[in-house]
Amino acid sequence: MKIALINGSPKTKNSASGILLEDLKSHLSQKAEITEIKLQKTFIPEEIAAELKTMEALVFSFPLYVDGIPAHLLSCLIQLENAHWQNREIYIYGIVNCGFHEGVQAKYALEILQNWCKKTELIWGGGIGAGGGGGLANMPSTKNGHGPKAPIDKALQAMADKILQNKRQKNHYVSVAFPRFLYRIAAQIGWRQMIKANGGKTKDLGKRPEEP
Amino acid sequence: MKLVITDLKDFSISIKGEHRIIKPQGTIHPCFGCFGCWVKTPGQCVMHDGYENTGMYMSKCTELILISQCCYGGVSPFVKTVQDRAISYIHPDFVIRKGEMHHKRRYQNVIALSAYFYGENITEQEKKTARNLIEANADNYDGRVKNIYFYKTAKELEDILL
Ligand SMILES: Cc1cc2nc3c(=O)[nH]c(=O)nc-3n(C[C@H](O)[C@H](O)[C@H](O)COP(=O)(O)O)c2cc1C
Repeated sequence: MKIALINGSPKTKNSASGILLEDLKSHLSQKAEITEIKLQKTFIPEEIAAELKTMEALVFSFPLYVDGIPAHLLSCLIQLENAHWQNREIYIYGIVNCGFHEGVQAKYALEILQNWCKKTELIWGGGIGAGGGGGLANMPSTKNGHGPKAPIDKALQAMADKILQNKRQKNHYVSVAFPRFLYRIAAQIGWRQMIKANGGKTKDLGKRPEEP
Repeated sequence: MKLVITDLKDFSISIKGEHRIIKPQGTIHPCFGCFGCWVKTPGQCVMHDGYENTGMYMSKCTELILISQCCYGGVSPFVKTVQDRAISYIHPDFVIRKGEMHHKRRYQNVIALSAYFYGENITEQEKKTARNLIEANADNYDGRVKNIYFYKTAKELEDILL
């Protein structure tokens, strides 16, 4: 079975979207022929668009941006809608990770992908909304079903099963197994470290620059 | 001030009062997720292509008006790029509002958000998605929704007064 794992994060490395695809892949790889694709620009090269059309399933993994799909990826989807699909028996799955703790905040981004599927006349296979995405790069991998990523891994395992069976799933909203108040503190410590690393001060985080 | 973000290059809609229009002019670069607008140059996007100041413009507006082709229940790539590049309007720290995580305010103004979507074949489901999306945007800006309208063509919009 030919499956494309599409990373729609614009980041060149360490994207949460990529980590989630790696985890999904670990549940798929024995039984599938996998192609990994990164969409970081507003345009998909013709040869990649052509390759996508030969797949049986496409999995889009991307970050939630302003409650929706990152703009560059939206451009790519429009390009794909207008591409000539000979075979429309292709299942589309979505994995949307978000910075907020609640995976359900990815609901409308998944709906947009589902609406795209309808317009493009492909088969919507369902999605995962994963909350706490900002922490994924720093979290250990799941061992024996335990660890902060365990709920997300479980959802990915379930999705992998559906993909391999050409089946749909309901959207599944999950969060990291890391308490929300601690996630918030950890993120806020992170912003402070980053601004200091850039030569700024903590109070600069709240700067209110005037327009030039 | 009314801030209009539109994908219409030839924008010819009447607007009452003080306003600013952000529309396609030259090349706009999409956000690449660096968070520099929070931790390098707080309040301003690090890419200087003429679209780096939207967060600041948002801080001066009472109304934010999106005029966009409806793409699958969301805004079009241009309008979305401008929105993605303007998350500096809010502060990186988190708050809990209505039981959900959101960002703290950076500025004090409360935005009334309106969206005018156009498109020939907007489905009922897409309209539903679009309404919910705009509500979610308003929650994240800690503002409120004013109007959400749908039109068949951009031309029909020329008769309205913003
Ligand atoms: C421009 C921009 C907009 C964002 N908007 C949201 C949002 O609306 N809700 C949310 O929970 N997270 C939002 N985030 C956070 C990202 O979804 C989060 O950092 C994610 O883990 C990034 O995934 P990636 O590493 O795969 O790119 C936003 C981030 C950026 C850069």
